[in-house]
Amino acid sequence: MLKDACCCRQEETDTEDRRGFLKQVAAITSGAVAFLVPTAAGVATFLNPLRQKAKGSQWLRVAALDSLPTDGTPQRFPVITDRTDAWIQFPAEPVGAVFLRRVGAAVTALQSSCPHAGCTIGYDAQAKCFVCPCHKQPRFDLSGKRVDGAKSYSPRDMDGLNVEVRNRGEVWVEFQTFRGGTPTKIAQA
Amino acid sequence: MKTLWNWLDSRTGLGDWCGWLADTPTPGGPGWSKVWPCAITFSFCIEAITGFFLWVYYSPSTQTAWESVYYLQHQVAGGWLLRAIHHYTAHVLLAMLILFVVQTILTGACRAPRELVFWATIGLALFALAAVLTGDLLSWDQNGYSATKTRTGFLTLLPWIGDSLLSLANGGPGSTLGNLTLTRFFALHVGLFSGGFLLLLIIRGALARRVNDAIAATGGATPYWPRQAWRAGFAYLAVLAVVLLLSCQHGVKPPHAGVPTLSPADPANCYSAARPEWFLTGVFQFSQLFPSVWEVVPIFVVTGLLFCIVMVMPFLARTPLGHAFNIVFTLTILAALVGMTYASYAKDRKDAVHQKAIALEQWQADRVLALAEHQGIPPTGALTLLRNDPKTQGPRLFAQQCAGCHSHASNAYEMPEIKTETPTAPNLTDYASRQWLAGLLDPKQVNSAKYFGSTKFRGGKMAGFVKENLSELDAGEKKNLQKAIAALSAEARLPAQQELDARDAKLIEEGRKLLSSDFGCTDCHRFHGKGTLGIAPLLTGYGSPEWLAGIINNSADKQFYSKLNDRMPAYAPNADPTQNTLSLRQVQMLTDWLRGDWYEKKTTIGK
Repeated sequence: MLKDACCCRQEETDTEDRRGFLKQVAAITSGAVAFLVPTAAGVATFLNPLRQKAKGSQWLRVAALDSLPTDGTPQRFPVITDRTDAWIQFPAEPVGAVFLRRVGAAVTALQSSCPHAGCTIGYDAQAKCFVCPCHKQPRFDLSGKRVDGAKSYSPRDMDGLNVEVRNRGEVWVEFQTFRGGTPTKIAQA
Repeated sequence: MKTLWNWLDSRTGLGDWCGWLADTPTPGGPGWSKVWPCAITFSFCIEAITGFFLWVYYSPSTQTAWESVYYLQHQVAGGWLLRAIHHYTAHVLLAMLILFVVQTILTGACRAPRELVFWATIGLALFALAAVLTGDLLSWDQNGYSATKTRTGFLTLLPWIGDSLLSLANGGPGSTLGNLTLTRFFALHVGLFSGGFLLLLIIRGALARRVNDAIAATGGATPYWPRQAWRAGFAYLAVLAVVLLLSCQHGVKPPHAGVPTLSPADPANCYSAARPEWFLTGVFQFSQLFPSVWEVVPIFVVTGLLFCIVMVMPFLARTPLGHAFNIVFTLTILAALVGMTYASYAKDRKDAVHQKAIALEQWQADRVLALAEHQGIPPTGALTLLRNDPKTQGPRLFAQQCAGCHSHASNAYEMPEIKTETPTAPNLTDYASRQWLAGLLDPKQVNSAKYFGSTKFRGGKMAGFVKENLSELDAGEKKNLQKAIAALSAEARLPAQQELDARDAKLIEEGRKLLSSDFGCTDCHRFHGKGTLGIAPLLTGYGSPEWLAGIINNSADKQFYSKLNDRMPAYAPNADPTQNTLSLRQVQMLTDWLRGDWYEKKTTIGK
């Protein structure tokens, strides 16, 4: 409003304002960049697990054919393989367990972890069925089928695994784990 | 956006807070010489941020500290940069604190009413120093381990309380560093020293603000924002640039990028090239001027006195004479420290033994990295990799146990040749190779010092056989001898001759027959079912791992020299391993090394 009278003054404050603005921008950007670089390096390492992939399935020798009962009673065997935990390499460690069952010449294998929430399933020799200890209720018959069908706690039947008898009497299993809680079998990636 | 801000501001008063911070007075107007406190605060923030992310990976125990740092630095993308920023920022922070204290003394800014601010700054420097020294051990490598062992050992120089302080630092009686030292140092580093630094930083800020507000009330100051703020921002960038330059001084490619990886701490194998950090090198050199019984003087008495003088400087500075004293004193001490530091580095640079120890450590670090990458780290830790490595341990075992009589051209980093002054047994370089056997079966060489020359077999039956039957051979016989040598050498299954043996399979088959027919070796030796034992060493599997282990275990065994054994000791003749000189594993490493059988990283030559 006092434009005419204070023309020169006004220009001066303009330049000062512009300088002040530039300084603010300089302060904010340089500060931001300086903090961003180390933070980015940290966040990058923190997110490293997202870049890693789980081990897929693995063919492993689990038992000798002769050690399986011929009457069809399932037997639990530990699955032993090398395990990597971050920087440590554990040689030959149990990483899980499977139920093997021999009916005649055929051998079947079932994952011992429950498809519901991953508890370790046990075998009830009297009732001749598999029982999950976590809810007592998910019961599976000898072939791994849910006794209570769709009403079962478990969203699906026990997970079958591929089996081969190799080198005259070695039972090999394609060991893998599956996601819990889903009606279909999804391999853990 | 604006309503959100208004809501937040009304509930928190954030606007007032920002305004209060922005108005922080800068006495005497903005200037570059006043960016120190901001740069120091910034550096601490970097340490806190990077420290947190390091924490995500770190595992403080003697079996996992080095290993978890290795994992972060060599297996996690960007891990080397994270660790390098944390490491070098700490050193830059300490350097800035020292320079800031010096500047405060030289400009007289330590005097009233800023005595407490000055003391707080010195406190910050001490906390930073303590954090760097405790952080140094956490990577549990040879340098950090040796340096800490020396440093904590100095505590015993203190009368009355020294031993107790040492136990408190180490987490156990005596001078052994272990799991409890690591957990203690980690807690001190993260909790006490870094936490204490933060607390003191806030206190110092409040004290300084109080003084500066008083100056601002008289009109002698300008607000921080934005005229000082942009200078501070540029100072942050400068700090970051220096840190990044230091981080990338060895390149940006693993495995050498960032902070150099040293081999894991080995209590049994002291790292003789360990040196204190740059800021202690001057004191280290100074302490060497004193006899070791008087070490308490340079390390505690003199430094304690210096500290006391610096603490009273704010009062001395009240008079012009006192201020002059402060300046002269500080510059003198600084010059002396710089000079001592330079002298120490210059001495080390010229010291061949020191340089050799550094080079050996680098070799060992590269070796353990190659092994860890190749086979992973066993549950017992990375040190096991080196302790079970034939390439590392073979030459050491040979030098200890065998070099009294045998020589070896070696291939070990630290000992290119293991030479006995007067060898009294065969030279074992390339033992059982075709070349070695050709020498043994050469009439001119069999009685030389390289073979039987200094043993009781000189001029014995074998030497006699070589002289009688293997001199003046015609072309056909020479060819047959070569076949026999190839066949005998193939028994050793040497890794270096693998391709050669596979190529000459037919020739070796012929040679095998010649050994028991034309050459008549089986007259004395047993070889693949022919001949008898007890007269001369078994030739089946000659030079193989089992054969070599057997002869080291007990060369007087029926399979080897039997009653004819010269002075070769039996290293593991008993079934009970505790009764033996060498363990099973040691014998294995020795045989593997003699046979050149160890893991070697494949290097791609050229691109």
